[in-house]
Amino acid sequence: MIHAANRAAEAAGARIGARAVDCRAICPELRIEPAEPEQDAARLARLAFWTRRWGPYSTPDGDDGIILDTSGAAHLFGGEAAMLAEIQAGFARAGLTARLALAPTRGAAWALARLGPERAICTDPLPALAPLPVAGLRLSGETLLLLRRLGLGTIGDLAAIPRLSLMRRFARAQPQDNPLIRLDQALGRAAEPLDAPEPAPEYIAQVRLAEPVMDPSDWLPGLLGDLCAQLAAADRGCRRLCLSVFRTDGERRDIRVAMAAPTRDPGHLLRLFDGRLGRLDPGYGFDLIRLAAEAVEPLAQAQPGLDGTAAQGLALARLVDRLAARFGAAAISRPLPRESHVPERAETPGPPLAAIPAPPARPDRPIRLLNPPEEIRVLYAIPEGPPAQFLWRRQTLRVARHAGPERIAPEWWRDRPGTRLRDYFRIEDETGLRLWIYREGLVHDGRGGVPRWFLHGIFA
Amino acid sequence: MPDHHARPEILLPAVEAPNPPADYVELAVTSAFSFLHGASHPRELALAAHLMGYDALGIADLNSLAGVVRLHATAKKLHLRPVIGARIVLACGTAFLAYPTDRAAYGRLAALITKGRRHDLDGNWQQKGRCDLNLDDLAAHAQGLRLIWLPGKDLSPLPSLCARLPELSHVAANRLYRSDDRARINRLDRAARALGLSIVAINDVHYHAPDRRPLQDVMTCIREGTTIAQAGLLLAQNAERHLKPPAEMARLFAEWPHAIRATREIADSCRFSLDELRYEYPRESVPPGLTPQQHLENLTWQGAARRYPSGLPGKVRATLEKELALIRRKEIAQYFLTIHDIVRFADSREILNQGRGSAANSAVCYVLGITPVDPAKHQLLFERFISENRKEPPDIDVDFEHERREEVIQHIYETYGRHRAGLCATVIHYRPRSAIREVGKVMGLSEDVTSALADTVWGSWGKDMSAAHPDQAGLDLDDPLFKRTIRLAEEMIGMPRHLSQHVGGFVLTQGPLPETVPIGNAAMPERSFIEWDKDDIDELRILKVDVLALGMLTCIRKCFALVKAHYGKALTLADFDHDDPQTYAMLQRGDSIGTFQVESRAQMAMLPRLKPEKFYDLVIQVAIVRPGPIQGNMVHPYLRRRAGQEAVDFPAPQNGDPDELKNILLRTEGVPIFQEQAMKIAMVAAEFTPDEVDELRKAMATFRSRGTIGRLEQRMVSRMVERGYDRAFAERCFNQIKGFGDYGFPESHAAAFAHLAYVSAWLKCHQPAAFAAALLNSQPMGFYAPAQIVRDARDHGVTVLPVDVNLSTWDNTLEPCDGAFALRLGLRQIDGLSRAQAERISAARDEPYADLADLKARAGLDARAIRLIAAADGLRSMGLDRRAGLWQARALRDAPDLPLFGRRDEGAEPAVALPAMPLSEHVAADYQTLRLSLKAHPMAFLRRSLAEQGYVSTAGLATLPNRAHLRMAGIVLVRQRPGSAKGTCFITLEDETGVANLVIWQGIFARFRKVAMTARLLEIRGQIQRAEGVTHIVAHWLGDRSDALLRLAGEPPTALPQPRPGHPRRVRMLPKSRDFH
Repeated sequence: MIHAANRAAEAAGARIGARAVDCRAICPELRIEPAEPEQDAARLARLAFWTRRWGPYSTPDGDDGIILDTSGAAHLFGGEAAMLAEIQAGFARAGLTARLALAPTRGAAWALARLGPERAICTDPLPALAPLPVAGLRLSGETLLLLRRLGLGTIGDLAAIPRLSLMRRFARAQPQDNPLIRLDQALGRAAEPLDAPEPAPEYIAQVRLAEPVMDPSDWLPGLLGDLCAQLAAADRGCRRLCLSVFRTDGERRDIRVAMAAPTRDPGHLLRLFDGRLGRLDPGYGFDLIRLAAEAVEPLAQAQPGLDGTAAQGLALARLVDRLAARFGAAAISRPLPRESHVPERAETPGPPLAAIPAPPARPDRPIRLLNPPEEIRVLYAIPEGPPAQFLWRRQTLRVARHAGPERIAPEWWRDRPGTRLRDYFRIEDETGLRLWIYREGLVHDGRGGVPRWFLHGIFA
Repeated sequence: MPDHHARPEILLPAVEAPNPPADYVELAVTSAFSFLHGASHPRELALAAHLMGYDALGIADLNSLAGVVRLHATAKKLHLRPVIGARIVLACGTAFLAYPTDRAAYGRLAALITKGRRHDLDGNWQQKGRCDLNLDDLAAHAQGLRLIWLPGKDLSPLPSLCARLPELSHVAANRLYRSDDRARINRLDRAARALGLSIVAINDVHYHAPDRRPLQDVMTCIREGTTIAQAGLLLAQNAERHLKPPAEMARLFAEWPHAIRATREIADSCRFSLDELRYEYPRESVPPGLTPQQHLENLTWQGAARRYPSGLPGKVRATLEKELALIRRKEIAQYFLTIHDIVRFADSREILNQGRGSAANSAVCYVLGITPVDPAKHQLLFERFISENRKEPPDIDVDFEHERREEVIQHIYETYGRHRAGLCATVIHYRPRSAIREVGKVMGLSEDVTSALADTVWGSWGKDMSAAHPDQAGLDLDDPLFKRTIRLAEEMIGMPRHLSQHVGGFVLTQGPLPETVPIGNAAMPERSFIEWDKDDIDELRILKVDVLALGMLTCIRKCFALVKAHYGKALTLADFDHDDPQTYAMLQRGDSIGTFQVESRAQMAMLPRLKPEKFYDLVIQVAIVRPGPIQGNMVHPYLRRRAGQEAVDFPAPQNGDPDELKNILLRTEGVPIFQEQAMKIAMVAAEFTPDEVDELRKAMATFRSRGTIGRLEQRMVSRMVERGYDRAFAERCFNQIKGFGDYGFPESHAAAFAHLAYVSAWLKCHQPAAFAAALLNSQPMGFYAPAQIVRDARDHGVTVLPVDVNLSTWDNTLEPCDGAFALRLGLRQIDGLSRAQAERISAARDEPYADLADLKARAGLDARAIRLIAAADGLRSMGLDRRAGLWQARALRDAPDLPLFGRRDEGAEPAVALPAMPLSEHVAADYQTLRLSLKAHPMAFLRRSLAEQGYVSTAGLATLPNRAHLRMAGIVLVRQRPGSAKGTCFITLEDETGVANLVIWQGIFARFRKVAMTARLLEIRGQIQRAEGVTHIVAHWLGDRSDALLRLAGEPPTALPQPRPGHPRRVRMLPKSRDFH
C-alpha cells in the first residue's frame, strides 16, 4: 500500500492507497521505501514544537498539518504577511515545503492552507471560504460525495442552506460527517480550542562563574547533587549525562558518560567522570559549566534492604558503568547462548546486562573451546576410522577411549561453498585428559585433499 | 483447472526384473507428502532406491497415506516392491511406524488416520490439515499392523507401550552421526531385549540424496515460520537422513546385525499391495433381483422410447446395442447407473445439468438423459472416446447450475453417507510465485525483493496486466544469495504443498470409504475429502464422478423460467435441434455478448471468419480459440482449408494404410484441433503403444519437463519418418501436440460446451430480454459487466427500464411495455443493497409507496438502504430525482424521534432550492451506484468537442477505408495481454455508438505503458486494419484523458484511483463511490 508519493512518482502513476506492486508494474523504476507512520508522527510533533518560535501554542494537525496559534505575535515579526513569509522561509531552510494560511479560526486556516491562495491572510472567514469547494471543511469522503450529489459544491452553497434543514439531516453525525459542525467551526460560530502539548521537561544543572576556572572538578559534585535532586523529584533516573564546559574564548567541550541502568546516585555518577576531566583542554578557562541529563527513564524510589545492601544487580551495573567509562562501551560484553550446531557459533557477544536465557545443557560439549582450533596430526584408519594417536603441542597423546563421530555439516546458507563437514570425537588419553577433536572433511568428499584434524575443545 | 506446475516427470529407466533381495529395507521414509517434512517426491525416492539395489522400499508419511499411490505407481514400473505404511504420531508426541500386514489391517490403518483427521480428541470437528490421535485410538486399530516405536530421549514409556500394544514388536534405532550413537543404540538394544522386543535399523529418510538437505532445511523453516538464520537447532545438524545403500546401512549397523535382519523380516511380513484394493461400485442404483447390466439395459430401452417417441431409428438401435455390449465387456454398467441416479435427482429438483466427458458422448447417455446432445445426429461416436484396451475407467463430468450444485453434493452425501462418498483431493503444488515467496522469506528477503525475483526469473506467470520487467527490476542476479534462493525455489517448484478439495470429483464406494483411503476435513464446514487426488484414483481404477458447477446453466435455467412465465413456452436443454439459421446468422456477425464460450474478444473476432453454420462448426469454434491450437498454429490452416483456399490433403505413410490419417483428421479438414486427435496421430502414425501415449499425455500436461518432451519428440518424429512420412510433416505434427499442453480441448467436452453455446445463442437471438435478465440475475458469471449486457440488449431492441423502488424486485424482471416485454432492472443492481431488504420492499408493496416515510415504515428499511436507493436514482416513481431523493433520504432517521425533541419542535422545514443535477453528473452517479446508466453514455457528452477535433466514433469506423489513419477516444472496457500474444496488448474501447478493438504492439505498449495500463478514458491515434470481416485499430500513440470523465462527475480532477487488474466483468468505468479519496 502506498502511503505517500513525491511529485515525480505521482506523475509516473503512483497513487496513494494503491498497492505498491501494482504501481511498480506501471512504473518499474519506482523507488519504494517502507512507510514509518509512527516516526512520521514523531517528526511532525517535533516540527510543531519547533514552530513555537512564531507563537506560543502549536500542535500537529492530522498527519500532514501543524496548527500554530499566533494571536498577538505577528507584530514581533513585522506584521502578518512578513511573519508568514518568514515561516515559509524557515521551513524552506529546513528543506521542507509548506503551505501557509492565517485565519481567525482553525477550520478556515485549514481550508485556506490547502485550497486557498498562497500565504492567504483572512480576517473574515465567510467571504474567504465561500468560493472554496466543500472539501475544505475537513469532511469524510462519503459526506463529500453526498454533498456533491446534492449539488452543494462550494462552502458558499452550503452556507446558503437554511440551518434547520442541515440540522435535521446531520444533527447526529460525527464532526467528520457533519457539515454543519464543520461549517460552524470554520466560521467561528463554534469554539475549537487548541490542545497544545507541553514539551518534555529538561533536567539541567549549571553554574556561572564570575572568574574563569581551569578545572571543573570542584563544581561537579554540586552540579550532580542538584541534578539528582531534580531527577528524584520527578521519579526519574538518567542513562546518559553530558557535561559541557563553555570556554571564555567561546569554544565548548562536552564529556558524555552512559549508564547501564538508570540511576540518580551522585556518588556513582561522580566516579564515572574519574580521570576524564583531566583530558579537557581548558584554554583560558571556563566560565559556564552545565550538566544535562540526556536520556531519562522512570526510576521509582527504592528502599534498600534492611541489612543496608543495595538491590541485587545494582553493584554489577555500577561495575559495568565504571568499566565502560574507563575502557569504552565496546570493550565489555557477555557471551550469550545462540542456537547453532556449529560449536564456535553457539555463542554470541551480547550487552553486559542482558537477561540471560538458560543455556541448553549439552554434556557432549566441552567447557572450553579453543579459538581458533589447533591443528593436530592424527593416526587413524582411513577413511572414517576413529583416531588412535595424535600429536598436539609437540606431545604425543594416545587415545584410550573415544566416542563419536558426531557429524556436523557446514551451515550451507552461511559458509563458503566448499566448506567441509566435521566429524567430532570425544577422546580420553591414557592420563585421563579429555579432549574434543575433529576431522575436517571426508576423504572423497570432493572438497579438498586429505582431511585435516583439529583439536577444538577441552573437557574439564 | 489443471495444475501446470506439477513436478516434472522424471525419466524412469526401463527395468526388466526386480533387484535381488537386499539385506536391508528402509522403512522410515518420509516423502514430500508429509508436507514440509520430506524433501523428496515418492518418485525420486523410488528411483533412488532402485538404483541403490533395494528390492523393496517402505513409505511412512506423517499420519497420512497421501503419497502411497505415487510410490506404488512408480515402484511398479521399477519392479520395486512398495511397503505401504504410515508414520503415526500421537497427540502426545509418541511416534510409531505402522505397517499393515494385509488388506484388513490396511483398512484399519486408513480408518485410524481418518479418525484423527475427522475429529479431534474430544470428538469435535477437526481443523483442516490436523490429525489428533491418542494411544487408545491406536490400540483400537492396531490389529494386524506391525508397529515400530520411534523412541525419543526417554525410554521409560516402553514397558507400558509394550503392554498396551501387543503388535509392538520393534524399537527403531538410527545411526545419524550424533555424538552418542553407539551408546544410545546399545541402550535401546538392552531396553528392547528386556521386554522381548528387538531393535530395527532405520535411517529416518527425509530425502533421497544428501544434496536435498538445504531444501529440507528450508521446508523446516517454512513449517516453523522462521528464517534460516534464526532456525538454529530446529534444523538437523547434518545431511545424513538420506537414502543409503543397503551395504552402507549394514556397515553402520555391523555391531547389531539383528537390527538389519529385522527390517527384512518386517518387510517380508507386510505383503499388502494397493493392487488389492479391489474397487466396488455402489449397489444402490440397482433394484434387487437384477444385475446392473440388466437394469441399465432396461433403463436404456425405456429412455430410448421416450427420446424417440415416433419410433427408434435403426441406426440408433444398432449404436445402443453396440455400446451396451462394450459396457458389458468393460463391466461399467454401475458407473452409468450411478451417474443416472445423480442426474435424475437433479432433474427432480429442476436443477439444470449436462454431462460431458468421454463416456458422455454415447447414445446410452443421451437416452438416459445425462446429455442432451444426440450423438447419432452429430456422429460423436462413443468408441472414439472409450477404447477397450485403455485401462482407465470411463469419464463423465456433470455440470450443474453454480448456484445450486451444493444441493446435489449434499444429496450424494445423504444417499451414500459420508463413509461411502468423499470428494477427491487436489494436491496443491508449489508454483513459481509461492515457491520464491516462501523460500525468499526463509532466506531473509523482503517481499518486494521476492516478487521482483519471481518476475525476473519466471516472467509474469498467470498475470495479465501487472507484467514483469526483467531488465528493470534492479536486482543483481549474480548475487550469491539471490542465486541460492532461486536455485532452492526451483527445487521447491512442484513439491506438494498441501491437499485441497477437488472442485467436484466424488468417489463413491460400496464398502466403507475410510477403509480404502483416509478422509480428512476441508476448511469449508460440512466438507471432507479423501487423501488421494484424481491421478491416484485413476491409477487404482476407482470410480469418480465429477459434480461441477457452471454459471451458464444457472443463467439458462433462469431464462427458461422467465420465458415460461411470460411467454408460456416450456423449454428444456434437449429441445434444441441446432438448426436455427437466425441463430447461426447472429453468430456469424460476431454478435455473441453473453453467450457461452464464444463471447470473448478472441472468439468474437473468430466468428465472422469461421462463419459457423452447423453444430459441428460450433464444436470446432469452441475448441479452436484456445491457447493450445493457437500456439500450435492450427487456426490459420484450418480457416484457409475451410474457405477452400488451400487443398485438404492427408499425408500417408509409404507402406501402410494410406487413409490412416484421413480417418482421424477428415472432420477437421486435416488439421488436428482436439486433444484426442493429437493422441491418435501418435498412436497411428508413430505407432505409439498405449503406455507411450499415456506418457505423452502426461508430458503434455506437465509441460515443464523439457527432457521428456525432447525424448518423446525424437521418438515420435523418427518413427513417423521410418514409416515414410515427410520429416517436416512429422515435426509439425509434434509441434502441434506440444502446443496443446493443458489448453487443448477434447472433442467430447467441446461438443457439450458447443451445445450450451448454441442454447445460449438461441436464447439471445430469440428471447433477448429474458436472456439479458437471466444473465444479470446470474452474476457474477461470463465475461462482460452488466453495462455491456444491458447495452447489448438495448442494441437488440429490448427496452430497458430503470431501477425503481415501486416497480423493481430483487431480480431483474420482464415487464409488459408497449405490447412487448421490457427488461426492468432489479434492485440487485444497486451496489451495497442487501437482498433481504430488497425482498422486504417487494413483499410489502401491495400499493405503491407514496413517499420515503411510507417506504421506510412499510418495508422496514433502515436509512442506509434508502440512501442507497436514492443515490441509485430509484425513487422517480415518487416524483423524486436523485438529488431530491438524497436530500429527503438524509432527513430520515433510524431511531424514532424522542417525544421531547420531535419534529414539531423544529418547526416546518423551509423549502430549499437545490440546483438541478446536470445529466452528465446523473450518468456518472449511475455508473458509480449501478455500474451502468440508461440515461446516456459518458462519451456522448464529449462527442461534440471530439467531433470538432476530428475524432472518429466507433460507428464512424465503418465509413473509413482500410489502412486509414484516425484518431479516436473511448472508455476502456477490457485490457488483455494474453501469454500467447508475446507482449501484445488488446484493448476494447467503448463509446456511445459501439465498441472498437485496439491492438497495441509490444513496442508501443512499452512506450505508453502507464497510459495503456491505467487510463479509463483512452485517446488513441492509429490505423484501421480490416481482414475477413474483422476490424482492428493498430495504435501508434496513446493518451490518458481520464480527467474528462471526472469533470463529467463533477469531481475535482485529482482523485481517480487506478483501475486494478481484474476480470473484465468487474471493471468499472468509474470507481465505486466509496473508493474516492
